[in-house]
Amino acid sequence: MASIAIETENLGRIYKIRGSKKEKKIRKELVALADVNLQIEQGELFGLLGPNGAGKTTLIKILVTLLAPTSGRARVSGFDVVDDPQLIRPRINMVSGGESSGYGLLTVRENLWMFAQFYGLSSKEANRRIEELLTMVGIVDRIHTKSSDLSTGLRQKMNIVRGFLTDPEVLFLDEPTLGLDVGASRDVRRFIRQWLEADRSRTLLLTTHYMVEADELCDRVAIINQGRVLACDKPSTLKQRLQRDAIFGIETSPLNGLSAAALESLPEVRKAALTETEAGAKLDLILVEEAALAAVINILNQKNIRILKFNKREPTLEDVFVDLVGRSMEEMEKTEDE
Amino acid sequence: MNSSTSLNEHPAKVTGWQLFLKTVIARAYPRIIGQQREKSWMFFDIVLPLGGVIAYVLVYKAIGAPAEYVGFVVMGGAMTAFWMNVLWSMSSQLYWEKEQGNLALYIMSPNSMMAVLLGMALGGMVATLLRAVAIVLLGSLMFQVQYAVTNFLQLLAVFTLAMAALYGMGMMTASLFLLLSREAWHLSNLAQEPIYLATGFYFPIKSLPFWVALGASIIPLTLGMDAMRQLVFPSGFKIGFLSVGVEIGVLMALCVLFLVGAKLLLGHMEKLAIREGRLTESRR
Amino acid sequence: MTTATRHPSRKLTCSSGSGAGKAGPALATLFAEAWRSFRLATWLGWQIESNWADPFLFAIYSIIKPLSGAAILVVMYGIIAKGNFTNPLFPYIYLGNAFYIYAGAMMTGVSWAVIDDREHYKTLKYMYIAPIRIPVYLLGRGVARFITGSFSVIITILGGVLFLHLPFDVTAANWLLFFLSLFIGVIMLAMMGLLLGSISLLLVHHVGFIGDAVAGALYIFSGAIFPLDVLPAWLRPIGFAMPITYWLELIRRSLIGEVAQAFPTLSGFSNGQLLGILVGLSLAFGAVSIVAFRFCDRRARERGLIDRTSNY
Repeated sequence: MASIAIETENLGRIYKIRGSKKEKKIRKELVALADVNLQIEQGELFGLLGPNGAGKTTLIKILVTLLAPTSGRARVSGFDVVDDPQLIRPRINMVSGGESSGYGLLTVRENLWMFAQFYGLSSKEANRRIEELLTMVGIVDRIHTKSSDLSTGLRQKMNIVRGFLTDPEVLFLDEPTLGLDVGASRDVRRFIRQWLEADRSRTLLLTTHYMVEADELCDRVAIINQGRVLACDKPSTLKQRLQRDAIFGIETSPLNGLSAAALESLPEVRKAALTETEAGAKLDLILVEEAALAAVINILNQKNIRILKFNKREPTLEDVFVDLVGRSMEEMEKTEDE
Repeated sequence: MNSSTSLNEHPAKVTGWQLFLKTVIARAYPRIIGQQREKSWMFFDIVLPLGGVIAYVLVYKAIGAPAEYVGFVVMGGAMTAFWMNVLWSMSSQLYWEKEQGNLALYIMSPNSMMAVLLGMALGGMVATLLRAVAIVLLGSLMFQVQYAVTNFLQLLAVFTLAMAALYGMGMMTASLFLLLSREAWHLSNLAQEPIYLATGFYFPIKSLPFWVALGASIIPLTLGMDAMRQLVFPSGFKIGFLSVGVEIGVLMALCVLFLVGAKLLLGHMEKLAIREGRLTESRR
Repeated sequence: MTTATRHPSRKLTCSSGSGAGKAGPALATLFAEAWRSFRLATWLGWQIESNWADPFLFAIYSIIKPLSGAAILVVMYGIIAKGNFTNPLFPYIYLGNAFYIYAGAMMTGVSWAVIDDREHYKTLKYMYIAPIRIPVYLLGRGVARFITGSFSVIITILGGVLFLHLPFDVTAANWLLFFLSLFIGVIMLAMMGLLLGSISLLLVHHVGFIGDAVAGALYIFSGAIFPLDVLPAWLRPIGFAMPITYWLELIRRSLIGEVAQAFPTLSGFSNGQLLGILVGLSLAFGAVSIVAFRFCDRRARERGLIDRTSNY
């Protein structure tokens, strides 16, 4: 039986936020995580999926011993993150998306060598691994380039190599493909899979807000929103919840005041999510029965809303999210931006 | 892609003092390489500070000070290089590391923060030593400073102990910077002139009231410079605050105090910073 | 489908070649841009300088730092002069040091703004692509240091008057000369700061203290803490070429006339002549700093340094 690589029990984290000068000493509290219970087995590629501000990075920071929880406990490789951080650190590593760490005046090789030394690798071994890993991610020709001369994408690839270089038992990737183009993202995902398959005792926790990435890569996924885990299972199992439902995506002209609530008030419409687009709006509908579609189209006609595009599809993790939260991830992030 | 040894193998990793040493060397590396690749520091870190030293020498000349006071300024000017290295290249450097995201990676790795800080300090040591030596050599030549070293071994001991204690103190103060953000820069700025005044960089500490001088002795450079003045200048023994033997004893005690204190305080501050979520915040 | 709304105040013109006129901004637009750049930069500089700590800590910082700097000289003087603070040399040193605070503050303020904005806030690239005047922006960032520098200067002088019997008589001071000299001096220091700021565009993070370092070196040649006569004869011309020398002399004459008269270095010049020399040298340094900025700006853009980070 595989042992547990990462475990959390009722994990919570509250941030105290200082107000501005005008707000004087008003302190607000932000609940970043609440009652998070997870068990990730050794050998798993576990995904944490949620919109911006859901608590994914906070959870990772706690697990990599950079942040203490305000309630509950967490263990990595069997050691408590608060009581035994020194026993955890030799066994882990982390890569964040959009990182600017390292030193611009050093070359790619020098930056990676430096970080390898912090983990106790010999110089010879470190240099050998650096060259091999850079070859695998496709930037070995830049090994002697100063990191300040790299583009954002290449720099991120360098950071990704930094994470794998020290051969961690547990690796945390916090939105690792952020800022990467499609090709580079694909390369990174392929590399991640290879790394795990080479040694099944390795564990990887990946946070992302790209549904496709989670769906493609992860053995299991936890959907997190506003600090709480809403569901945790294999992507296929999560999608099966909606298998019996009919899922439609409809692109329309402007909605003329029509709301998601109005659609959800229709019988047989389980969930409706609206996202504004340039041309008008996108409706994601989860219907109990296909026949309910007629009522939806009727309402659209009454409001003089034209249908621009229409498709029926298999359920995706996005639909699972909509089902759990009531809004699409895109809509949530837009609202947060506003 | 074909499978590769880097994916399959588990590299050997050292721990303990070997890891400490590797970390020191690795963290010193960016600084040493940076100074070789960008050489403008030679002018700004050596030539310009010499100007400040010359200014104070000329003040003493303008007010008719005895010749050995010129030597005091030259020595003080050289020692400021070490203080600046501790202050800017070690203590408050953690603030810059936090801003760049490196601090989180340092804390997360299995090395010691003391090793990282020592690496930072040693990495800047080339520039620091060059600055100190240049000031002593050029200042002595320009103003014909007379030296009379009475006990070279004692002088070496004083310098070594003062440096060890100073860098220990620097590590202690660096731990405070784990918690700070932008105020770190200002507090480092604040620790220049008041320290120069209290520790007697440019004048014998005996000139200050006794209790002020005694209080200032907590900073290793105070007694370090006082002892060095007594050992290096012909009339040094007249202007010493305490005897050289006592000052060496105090420096030894400060060494132990600061190095042990650094280890404890770094550990404590790291835990505090982790609890309060300060390690990765960016409050610019 | 609606067409994109064009901004009503902007016309898009298509220049086809030799027939089109030069696209230089009108003078009014130039001044508007310069004023906008200066105003916003001053506001930003003040925000950065003032909100890093609570008011109490800020006050402590503003008091301790300048007084400590002055106290070093006071102790040095006191040891040798055995506490005789009535000698005219003491107020000479004290006042010169007090007002020299402006030199360090302004030079550092402008040059450090380049490093700060480029490496820490990473906003310099956005300032560059915005429709503002970068040299004016940098000068505006230096103004905040002038304000905090003023606190330090006032506190230092007050300390001298209250505790060291600095012979300063408010009723006897030549305030017109003082404010005129101060005004010209601040512009002069700002232009020197711009010169250093221009050089900073080409430098790395760890020489961000170029302002402090240059101010420290110029201490020798400005007559701030000792008369220029103390310098070897072959070095004195450098001091006479520095506008700061004349500026400090004017400040001393305006505040404590008899002190300046005790030292023969510039006694042969009248106030008007000193003002003329100060203005002339300030204009010369101003021209040099503008030329230097243009050169350094071009080089920085050629080498891609506007958005580089170099901290190690």
